[in-house]
Amino acid sequence: MTLYIPGDGFLYRRHPVTKLVFMLCVAFLAFLGPGRWTPLLIFLAALLPLALFSGLVRPYGGALWRILAPLAFFLFVLHGLFNPAGRTVLFSVGPVAVKLEGVVFAALMTSRLLCVLGASLLFVFTTPPSALMLGLAQHGAPPWLTYVIGATLQIIPHMRARAAAITAAQQARGLETTGSLRVRARALMPMVTPLVLSSLVDAEERAIALEARAFRSSRPKTSLTELADPPVERVARQACVVCTLLLIGAGQWL
Amino acid sequence: MNIAVSDLHFTFASGVAALCGVTLRIDSGERVAIMGRNGSGKSTLVRHFNGLLRPTRGVVTIGDWATHEHSVAQLARRVGYVFQNPDEQICKRRVWDEVAFGAINLGFRGARLHKQVDWALARLGLGSYAGVNPYDLSPSWRRRVAIASVLAMDTEILVLDEPTTGQDARFLAQFGGLLDELRVLGKSVIVVSHDIDFVAEHFARVIVLDEGRILLDGAPEQIFRASEALEMAALQPPQLTRLAQALSLSHCVHTEEEFLRALQTRLAGA
Amino acid sequence: MIRVEGLTYTYPFAGQPALRDVSLTVAAGEFVAIVGANDSGKSTLCYALTGYIPHHFHGAMLGSVQIAGMDSRSTPLAELVTVAGLVFQNPVNQISGARFTVYEEVAFGLENLGAPRAEMAARIDEALALVGLEGVADRSPYALSGGQQQRLALASILTMAPQVLVLDEPTAQLDPLGSRDLFAAIHRLSRRGATIIMAEHKLEWIARFADRVIALAGGQVVLDGAPREVLASPLLEQHAIGRTRFTQVAARARALGLTSSDALLPVTLEEAVDFFRPILPKAINA
Repeated sequence: MTLYIPGDGFLYRRHPVTKLVFMLCVAFLAFLGPGRWTPLLIFLAALLPLALFSGLVRPYGGALWRILAPLAFFLFVLHGLFNPAGRTVLFSVGPVAVKLEGVVFAALMTSRLLCVLGASLLFVFTTPPSALMLGLAQHGAPPWLTYVIGATLQIIPHMRARAAAITAAQQARGLETTGSLRVRARALMPMVTPLVLSSLVDAEERAIALEARAFRSSRPKTSLTELADPPVERVARQACVVCTLLLIGAGQWL
Repeated sequence: MNIAVSDLHFTFASGVAALCGVTLRIDSGERVAIMGRNGSGKSTLVRHFNGLLRPTRGVVTIGDWATHEHSVAQLARRVGYVFQNPDEQICKRRVWDEVAFGAINLGFRGARLHKQVDWALARLGLGSYAGVNPYDLSPSWRRRVAIASVLAMDTEILVLDEPTTGQDARFLAQFGGLLDELRVLGKSVIVVSHDIDFVAEHFARVIVLDEGRILLDGAPEQIFRASEALEMAALQPPQLTRLAQALSLSHCVHTEEEFLRALQTRLAGA
Repeated sequence: MIRVEGLTYTYPFAGQPALRDVSLTVAAGEFVAIVGANDSGKSTLCYALTGYIPHHFHGAMLGSVQIAGMDSRSTPLAELVTVAGLVFQNPVNQISGARFTVYEEVAFGLENLGAPRAEMAARIDEALALVGLEGVADRSPYALSGGQQQRLALASILTMAPQVLVLDEPTAQLDPLGSRDLFAAIHRLSRRGATIIMAEHKLEWIARFADRVIALAGGQVVLDGAPREVLASPLLEQHAIGRTRFTQVAARARALGLTSSDALLPVTLEEAVDFFRPILPKAINA
């Protein structure tokens, strides 16, 4: 279960940690950067072109639209109508009035979300999880951390299947699981208890399996795949961080 | 209560066609084994009996109920389904409560509840473990708890999905005894299994599925003779059938009694 | 290769020992099968032979277990797993979860051992070929069938080149096809001289391929010898350990006086044919 889309290009060839740093910097800038147009600017000048050159425009646009459109709609409605800073009325619909300041705020929030989501999607679409884990491990992340990240991604579909199996088993024993709130409350424990307990049993067995694969060995680990981390990547990461700090600083003091 | 399956087709959401036109009838009190390789559709078929799956085309009726008109929980009154993994249903802290769970859901109370639960516990050898936490039992004993909890529901039809997998000889013997008692009680029993020796000894009707269709449906004598069909379903004939064939005794052997009888006949004929 | 002396082990909080005074030795290259009813101590013994007892399960352990010359109590588990590999029943829980393709999954153990990258490809390819999974190297481990996942678990352990392979009912959750393929892989290993200890219920197969069979009951060793001696023994029934239908029908035939043969009861098809053929009248041309 990964969102990775195989491909090639500038972004694909970058080191995962570089992309991670970039993504985090963009996120910070979106919220702490100077001016109200920064998030939109970053998106249009950096994120969208990167998506274009990576051949990902369609999935990129599609995902952004699917996630942001409903959010944006609610933001505009809520803030347009109820934001306390609202004063200038743009237009009225019956008893409620949509105010400019609220709309502006909603627009700002939306552009921030667009920026953060845009950067995250670029990262996730172009970075296979295995590369991310390897990259993190190269930079000193402890094995248990990279394990948790990788395993969690794979566990999710497994968990979903198990929850479905538990639902089926309990329904087959006469448990109603849909209907009134009372019915569903009664069904809660019989669904949750086996999920937790069976997961514990699995976790125990998996711990034994990991042990059998020398996961807890103190020998220095090697890796099957090579992940190049040339100096230019390191410089790029440092540049990202420095620029971000400068811009944020500039925004605060100017 | 009969089970009637009429031209059943089922396709998963992923597009995989698991059942391609299955028609069969299981009469009240019948004992049927369903066999076939993984992916043949055997689990998919039996999951239609209690409404876990709804036909894409065709109809499945349990008695006078069409399964697509009732929820799984409602159908649980008529069809008890025992799943393979007990850990995916154990939700009580005492074996007694766990075994009573299904029966309570169906509305059993008081004397009737106690009678059913105690009977189910006894049949599965769990009498002395009634107060124990199910997770203090080993996995094979937890499977007995799962079977008992469905048994206590006193349904007319029982479906068991691979009940003998990983179980030892003692369990197989006790389970065989349980099947006999269920026959006396007039319950229909449908078992999905790939243990051909166990099936040969305890079932008078065997249905073999392959690629979503019924390949064979009949008495063990007919089934175990059809070696090509068995091979298609990745099944080897039972041990005694193979022995009888190797000794050129008879092709109708699949139990110990039949083998000995065939042997005696041959010796007498000399 | 393996030496167990006076092993008595009790799980934490358990009322009684799971293993009582077990002593046995396994020579290099031997294929030993362990049979017994559920809860007779087979799994516990498998854990003790790979160091999980005492290191993972704690509890009270008396006696000693030597694995490839290392004492299981005083050697850390991380070292013991490099000489003794364990494959157990549940195919899905042996997938590490940390890797996304079958190929990487097999590499996982090598990475943890710090094997040089240059060696990895050859070792992984060999392991995959041994179990017959070369064709699925690029698939996700979770997309494989149960039988394939079990062979993957085996390959993942084999690639680490353990000196002893311990398998705890590896085919218990597999269908006949999956069992057959797994047994074929294990048989290949045995023919190459691997030291294998396997707990199993499927008697017909182990009767054919094991060098030795040990029967456990109530945590104790009750029989230890050649397959035919152990699997045809009447003691098995006493201890709720099954016998093949061949053995049972031969015992019945003897009890009914259909044969006066003194020979050891048969366990496999071939032995059963040899047992019954002499008493049958000469072949009438059919």
